[in-house]
Amino acid sequence: MSDDNDGGLLKTLKDWRVAVMLLLVVFSVVSIYVIPPGISNGMTGNLQLGLDLEGGSWIQLSFQSEVVRFDTDENPEVFAARIGEALDAEVFLFEEDRLEIRAPFTREELEPVFAENGGSIVTYENGVSKDTADQIKLILENKVNNLGTKDARINTITGLNGVTQYIRLELAGVDIATAQEIVGAQGKFEIRIQTIGNETEHVLYGDSIKSVSTPTQSPPGSDIWGVGFTLTQEGAAAFREAANTYGATSNPDAHEIMMFLDDETVYSASLNPQLAAELKTAPVRELRATTGAGEEGLEDAKKLEIHLRAGALPVDVEIAGSGTVSASLGEHFKVMSVIAGILALMAVAATVYYWYREPAIVLPMVGTTIAEIIILLGIAVYLQQLDLASIAGLIAVLGTGIDQLVVITDEVIHEGRVPSQNLYMKRFNRALGIIMVAACTTVIAMLPLAVMDLANLRGFAIITIMGVLIGVLITRPAYGKIIMAILSKKPGDHR
Amino acid sequence: MKFPAYDISRYTVRQLVALPIALLIISLLFLGFNTLTTGMPVDPGIDFAGGVAVTIPPTADSQAVVEGYFSEYPLKSVGEGVNGGYYVVFEYMPDDAFLSLSKVINEHYPDAKVDQIGETFGKTLQAQALWALLFSFIGMAIVVFIVFKNFVPSIAVVISAFSDIVITAALMDIVGITLTLGTTAALLMLIGYSVDSDILLTTRILKRKGKFSEKMQGAFRTGFTMTSTTISAIALMFVVSWIGQIDIIREISAVLLLGLFVDLMNTWMLNAGILTGYAGGDKR
Repeated sequence: MSDDNDGGLLKTLKDWRVAVMLLLVVFSVVSIYVIPPGISNGMTGNLQLGLDLEGGSWIQLSFQSEVVRFDTDENPEVFAARIGEALDAEVFLFEEDRLEIRAPFTREELEPVFAENGGSIVTYENGVSKDTADQIKLILENKVNNLGTKDARINTITGLNGVTQYIRLELAGVDIATAQEIVGAQGKFEIRIQTIGNETEHVLYGDSIKSVSTPTQSPPGSDIWGVGFTLTQEGAAAFREAANTYGATSNPDAHEIMMFLDDETVYSASLNPQLAAELKTAPVRELRATTGAGEEGLEDAKKLEIHLRAGALPVDVEIAGSGTVSASLGEHFKVMSVIAGILALMAVAATVYYWYREPAIVLPMVGTTIAEIIILLGIAVYLQQLDLASIAGLIAVLGTGIDQLVVITDEVIHEGRVPSQNLYMKRFNRALGIIMVAACTTVIAMLPLAVMDLANLRGFAIITIMGVLIGVLITRPAYGKIIMAILSKKPGDHR
Repeated sequence: MKFPAYDISRYTVRQLVALPIALLIISLLFLGFNTLTTGMPVDPGIDFAGGVAVTIPPTADSQAVVEGYFSEYPLKSVGEGVNGGYYVVFEYMPDDAFLSLSKVINEHYPDAKVDQIGETFGKTLQAQALWALLFSFIGMAIVVFIVFKNFVPSIAVVISAFSDIVITAALMDIVGITLTLGTTAALLMLIGYSVDSDILLTTRILKRKGKFSEKMQGAFRTGFTMTSTTISAIALMFVVSWIGQIDIIREISAVLLLGLFVDLMNTWMLNAGILTGYAGGDKR
């Protein structure tokens, strides 16, 4: 290469469009592989992977409750209380004219009740208020944290009207049975006491449990695990009365205390002598269920804690949808996705080579496309987790990306002649015009998917939109500059 | 580099638009008939109808064995993958049945991928998908009208995009691809792809100077190159996802592939035909 050519190349690299593209490629590689943990995570570096690539389960819950905007001449609080009484359901007035009814009713069922109490329904929606949703999210987060999964995401899905319809949990590395056990059904928790033989009597329900602690060792450092919990005043009184009535305080071993979740025994043990003695004189609110020693004791304690908390959700939930991918299948999908990406790129390269037969055009075209994908992945590290749908988006972007490079190429080498600088810029800008419009329509077509809560498709839409924007703003202008520098050195017919 | 010899200006407008219009009408009738008889234009998958979909990784079990395991549940279809895996779809079942099905799956195929959608949730998704399609389409039409400011060329682009979606949807139903979240996304993506080549064509014809037939020829060459590169990328995605049993990508790429071929026809016959009628051939 002559000095002259080197100068030209250097000049091209210094062009801000090309420089920005190269800088972003470096930034992306650093984001994916260099920033810790980076490369130590293997092939995928710092990319956030969705459940279907990582393995895990998701559950989407809907609520057995509705939010009603009402109209009445009366004091809203008085009105709300009356409605609650009439429906025999818990109600929560979270705005002056909006009521959350925590039991399943249809609008048709509610209308007469509202009318009888001097009001009317303005809007009716299934779901809960934002406050309640946040509370439920917190409870679920507690349950999930106790399980010690490394990666859990819990999102509330709230409409523009402020009503939360769904809550979605994504638990990496957890199978669906476990996920369902933790969060799916809301259990009915009950404590019963053994009377004679196998007979038991009811003592209290989960609503009498005021709070539950995390597993602890007692005495500290003994490696004997258990879960502490606090009863309400009434709960403690009921517990004491039952223990005394059925003789658990005088003969603890013959009258075990049993805990049931959905009528299945989850725990049973006799009162320890010290507690038995205390209960003879006064109610005890602070109780502790011991589960055993060592690792097994700790595991049991974790499960028991979740059980004790069951029934604590303020609203009944239903599973709206769920799914699971095993870790090995996720790994398989990961490998297949990489293969699909690489083969798609090679197919595109082969096709453009077939049409142009000119390495000076094909190489920058493919190079620009690779740069575009690297930048897209680099930015995705911060914005979007990659799932299978977003991989499809990525490959779709690869398709449109190449399309638009073809538009630029054909526009500037129109009629086989390499144009002068002025004419070149004119044509290049015309090509960019076509591209801008096309990009605009793709972004607009994808926008609804990106903002709606069709959860599985958000990734697809966001990756597509990001890809189109990166293409229009960064890589295509850079390609225009590169192809110009190359063409001005290699005059001739390229088609 | 042999480009298909396709000289658009050799044909009359009527010859150009006859086939695409006929296919559009047949597809509309077909989808309309489906909607009247089943309530949905295209057979809905589990995302919209509710149900359970199970991807079973490669196994030595025959199809009859797999069906045997699940005979107590509302089995809808069993598809065999090229790699010896299966894709099993169940109709909606209550939670209790699903829990016991989960156990059966876990017992025989612990590595399976399972997705379950409830009936009401499916309805919600369906409504949202419909809105998404509507919003996307209207948004696209607005952009096109703003850019070209000319009624006939704009409506030509909008009609081709509409026709792309309608004919592709009809083809989907014929080859047995269900309407899911993934295939809805593919239909939306098609709006983008479709407009890509239409805008190239319209810009070249309206904004460039020169002989009409030459402009058309040049636009066709570029447009065909564009679509063929996209088709090659999507085709590879389809093959790999088919072999690798990545159902969502297989569905998306299958729909895109169908749509891209439909788009070739709509762009270079329907849209090109309307533009020929509007901007006139060389004779005028």
